[in-house]
Amino acid sequence: MLSANHLDSMFPFHFTVDGEMRIVSAGSALRRICPNVTDGAEFSRCFTFLRFGMLPTETFDGQYILKQRSTLFIFAATCSALVLRMQVLVLENPTRYCFIGSPWVRTPAEMRALNIVLNDFALHDATVDLLQLVQSTDRAIEDARRLTSKFEVQRNDLEQLIDTANAPIVGVDAAGCVLVWNQSMARITGIEKHDALKTHFASKHVSEACAQSVESMIASAVRGELTPVLEFELNTKCGDRRLVICSVSPRHDAAGGVVGAILVGQDITELGEYRSTLEQRVEQRTAQLSQANAELSRAMRSKDDFLSAMSHELRTPLTAVIGLSELLVEGVYGPLGTGQTKPIATIAESGQHLLSLINDLLDVAKIGAGKVELNWGDAEVREVCDASLRLVAQMAQKKHQVLSTRLDAAAPSIRVDERRLKQILVNLLSNAVKFTPDSGSITLETHADMDAGTLTFAVHDTGIGIADEDITRLFTPFTQLDSRLARQYAGTGLGLTLVMLLTEQHGGHVSVTSQVGKGSTFSAVLPWHPTAPRASSPASDEARADVKGATPPALSDTGPVIINADDSESCRMTIGDFLRGHGYRVVDAHNGAEAIAAVFEHHPVLVLMDLQMPQMDGLSAIRLLRSNAVSADLPLIALTSRRLADDRAQCLAAGADEFMSKPVNLPQLLATIGRLTGANSA
Amino acid sequence: MYGLVNKAIEDLVTIKFGADKWDAIKRKAGIEVDSFISNDAYPDCITYGLVEAATEVLQLPASTILYAFGEFWVLHTAKKGYGDMLSAAGRDMPEFLDYLPQFHTRVALLFPHLKPPRFECSDRRSNQITMHYFSERKGLSVFVEGLLNGVAKLYETPALVEQTRFKEKGDDHDEFLVRWGDALP
Repeated sequence: MLSANHLDSMFPFHFTVDGEMRIVSAGSALRRICPNVTDGAEFSRCFTFLRFGMLPTETFDGQYILKQRSTLFIFAATCSALVLRMQVLVLENPTRYCFIGSPWVRTPAEMRALNIVLNDFALHDATVDLLQLVQSTDRAIEDARRLTSKFEVQRNDLEQLIDTANAPIVGVDAAGCVLVWNQSMARITGIEKHDALKTHFASKHVSEACAQSVESMIASAVRGELTPVLEFELNTKCGDRRLVICSVSPRHDAAGGVVGAILVGQDITELGEYRSTLEQRVEQRTAQLSQANAELSRAMRSKDDFLSAMSHELRTPLTAVIGLSELLVEGVYGPLGTGQTKPIATIAESGQHLLSLINDLLDVAKIGAGKVELNWGDAEVREVCDASLRLVAQMAQKKHQVLSTRLDAAAPSIRVDERRLKQILVNLLSNAVKFTPDSGSITLETHADMDAGTLTFAVHDTGIGIADEDITRLFTPFTQLDSRLARQYAGTGLGLTLVMLLTEQHGGHVSVTSQVGKGSTFSAVLPWHPTAPRASSPASDEARADVKGATPPALSDTGPVIINADDSESCRMTIGDFLRGHGYRVVDAHNGAEAIAAVFEHHPVLVLMDLQMPQMDGLSAIRLLRSNAVSADLPLIALTSRRLADDRAQCLAAGADEFMSKPVNLPQLLATIGRLTGANSA
Repeated sequence: MYGLVNKAIEDLVTIKFGADKWDAIKRKAGIEVDSFISNDAYPDCITYGLVEAATEVLQLPASTILYAFGEFWVLHTAKKGYGDMLSAAGRDMPEFLDYLPQFHTRVALLFPHLKPPRFECSDRRSNQITMHYFSERKGLSVFVEGLLNGVAKLYETPALVEQTRFKEKGDDHDEFLVRWGDALP
């Protein structure tokens, strides 16, 4: 049995009644709160029985207590709002009913109202813990309310943002049915949100042509895949279509799972119309440009025709001027009188100069029109350089200038159009010779750069030099820096332009360094990769040997027959007299038809055929000769003054064995005839 | 620590210094939590990070902030969240201080993931009491000093709180002597 003190410590709210239902003891906390609970006080004056309010307190006696000893007793204090929840303990000898338990309080506020503090409870009493738990739960609920309120505000903001965004926004569930439909969508389609909700977006609101694509996009987004931007047509309430461009992204739930898709787009109907207009304009403009291109092509063809005609008209008389003057100098027409040689040599020289001017002009025009195709091949650097130097050697010798080369042994060959490279070098060397005073020196140097993959051809001179400010003008066509120089140094001003164009066509570039009064260096830098040196060309050697070995021939009316077909009398005479001088019997023809007749009549060893002739042109005549068994293998050289890019190809395709451009280099013609007929000369 | 503590720091900064400062402190501490939930457990480093960031943003020493936080905890946070419970813990300051050890024991029961400090009372006299503070956490003795002063203010009892033992100086725990009434010097 517990002592009174222990009982009070363990149950500060207990009380005990005897069989008469009088208080015999009470806990200290209960006595403090209910001062009327004193020893000897009647139970019914201190408490009322609150068991559902059904049992009158008067009937509450020992018998009842014994019957209900396993029941929870609820008492209300008569002097305060205190309610006690108690369990009865029946004591024997004497009979006592000890009620132990706690005050029934649900909140700290109720405790305060009853003037109870936590320390009033026994330490084992869970009431305090439950109160703290309730407090904590209240706090959690308050947090939840606070966060709910915050999220509510955010959700409202978001909904307002979506709803008022100036972009159509649609949210669909995983089945593609509409859950979100903002004002912009309503405005574009004329369909209000309440009518759109729960409808199937793709099948109901997208044009039939686009529905499948949109549905696929939504399905992709629902699978969590990245989807591209999609352009499609929306159906409107009034039956129109609106063009929109949309991005589709997955819709997530709070747990991060994909539960649908969000489509955010832009109405581009007006843009689409504008685009359509623009496309029409582009189409029109393209047609105009095509027409302009066609006109330009026609103009270009006209220009080519003009160049061709002019070339023919200029070269034909030049052939006669150069050829006849050379023959005069060679004494083909008999010995010249005193004082005649020099003027005739000047005529020949002037003719050659005029010819080079025409050649330059035509080259610039052709390169400018993109009509020059390079004939790529491996060239021996030394051979090209030597050949170029030989061409200017005579000019340099007259000015007592020293020509030298400094060639990089690391680059014995280069892949170029050999003829064009020679043209580049000759132009640079000619300029150097021209602008370098007497007794000056000119050096042609090559330098290979393995890292850059280039081979530089540099021409150094000790000439007059060029001021810095003039260098940029150097490569402009028809430019000579000083008009006085133009008078002093003959030239078209096209040489450097040609050098630049040809170098660039090779994929290279040109550069200049110069000091006034000290000299200049002009460089052509060409792409280069080391290649094996190539054997020298037998044809060119042969031509050179022939030139060197040529002796003044005598006129002959015997020997192998050559048909010389040309409508120009001067050309016929120049070439005819030259060939006769070399032992050939030359039969003239004025057009293609006469040439064919002459072939069958005179059985020639070779035919020279000009292309442009009246009645029957050269190409037609060649084709006819080749179609006949008698003349199918007859050596045939085509000649023309036109210098068009495709002339050579046309002639060879028609059946010519060789093609030569007029004015004809007579020694070269002789060598070619020798090669084709199997004899060096008649 | 439980979110309630971090929330209390937020309330302290927001009320005393403004919401902008709180945002700056959160940014400085690299905290991306929008709202702390009172009964959720957060790593201690968040609380320490917030205090450290507060010293830089507010340009105040950590001790000043922690002391203010201790007072604020009692006078604002506990009063606001647990006001009735607080007043039920004692009819006066001595009764409250006497109940403090029990309170933390019961808190540990309610929040199993929380590691609340342990308080013990000794040398109970009519106008002074010795409070012993045991905690695994470092550097919070100033916070406790502020908290005890907050209790005195809550019960409107002029009191003097004096730390008499220091864990940071090698003692096994922190100890505070709380004096009031006639015991005041």
